[in-house]
Amino acid sequence: MSTAHSDHTSDHATPPQVEGHEDGEVHAHVNSPLFMIAIFAALIVLTVITVAVSYVDLGSANTFVAILVATIKASLVATFFMHLKGDKSIHAIIFIGAFVFLGIFIGLSNDDLSTRHEVDSVNGARRLDTTGVVAPGGLQVPAGPASAPEATQHVEGVQNPHGASEHH
Amino acid sequence: MSSATTTEETHAAGGHGHGSKYPFLAHHFDTPAHQFDSAKLGMWIFIATEILMFGGLFVAYGLFRGQEQEMFHQAHERLDKIMGAVNTVVLLFSSLTAALAVRQSQVGDRKGTTRWLIITLLCACIFLVVKFFEYQHKFHDGLLPGHYFTAHLAQHAHHGHVLPYRAHMFFALYFMMTGLHGVHVLIGMGVLTWALRRNLNGKISKQYFTPIEIGALYWHLVDLVWIYLFPLLYLVG
Repeated sequence: MSTAHSDHTSDHATPPQVEGHEDGEVHAHVNSPLFMIAIFAALIVLTVITVAVSYVDLGSANTFVAILVATIKASLVATFFMHLKGDKSIHAIIFIGAFVFLGIFIGLSNDDLSTRHEVDSVNGARRLDTTGVVAPGGLQVPAGPASAPEATQHVEGVQNPHGASEHH
Repeated sequence: MSSATTTEETHAAGGHGHGSKYPFLAHHFDTPAHQFDSAKLGMWIFIATEILMFGGLFVAYGLFRGQEQEMFHQAHERLDKIMGAVNTVVLLFSSLTAALAVRQSQVGDRKGTTRWLIITLLCACIFLVVKFFEYQHKFHDGLLPGHYFTAHLAQHAHHGHVLPYRAHMFFALYFMMTGLHGVHVLIGMGVLTWALRRNLNGKISKQYFTPIEIGALYWHLVDLVWIYLFPLLYLVG
């Protein structure tokens, strides 16, 4: 592919070669309408399946099935309606790349949260199992069962600097 | 997109450089294929950023759900599965009609393109109307995000089924996720209307159907997000 033209008067008697478009014109891969309707029918069948499965209690498998069916549906839409099939592979690489980075996002966030131990049932704060000191980033935990908001503020003032130094 | 359009129209009006062979070709592109590929590459990169934007909300959903499975399960039963399923079918159908609009523009059928684009826009309207009734019902029941959540007050007054503690977290996610998606539906309608206008103005041809293609790609993205939102919010909670 040639570099950008700074000269507006340059003609295109010798069009640069663009891969797959030797004459420089747009050649689309045209799908037949029947094929597209068949893809739509498959999407509807998968929707019916995922709704039907949601009425059956499979425990944690419910979530797995829901995400699996959604991923099959998304793949059908991306591959055929968004023409990733037969398209330049860079488009598919960009698309799948977004999910790879989303996976990194989910993985690291989950690792962070799942290693912060128990959830305090009152405030949603996380405490370190070993000492009970509030983990960095969590809300303050009241000192005792009869604690009022004043008590919370008290704990905030005294305990936190100590706890922070202990855990580094 | 808009800057490319402006350039292209300026160019068409100015008429310098390329002559009359490709009136739609902006002068900074070598060939129609070059212009088409550039537009599509840009759209796919934009789609990747959109996936990552929604991704943040999906990560929040996943992590909170991991901690609050029972609450999520009980709160999700307050959503209307049937309305969600209807909207899913409507959006899937609109994706089909958007793809058919692209197909007709590829074969140079202007009337067909117009017809399918209008049907797609009608589906988008149906989706928003259903969503409006869903939101109205949630507002009425006080099932709102954060401190706007007042469902527990009504439950105490009527001795009804009590939602679990922190159910407002579920509805915060519900409104943020479906709300951001709803904004995308509105933007998608704008993009498709723009594509429709260009088609009606005779700017679309077998050689130049980029606006239809790009608009449809955006619309399919809206569909893709909903394909995940529907089961996660309405079906499994």
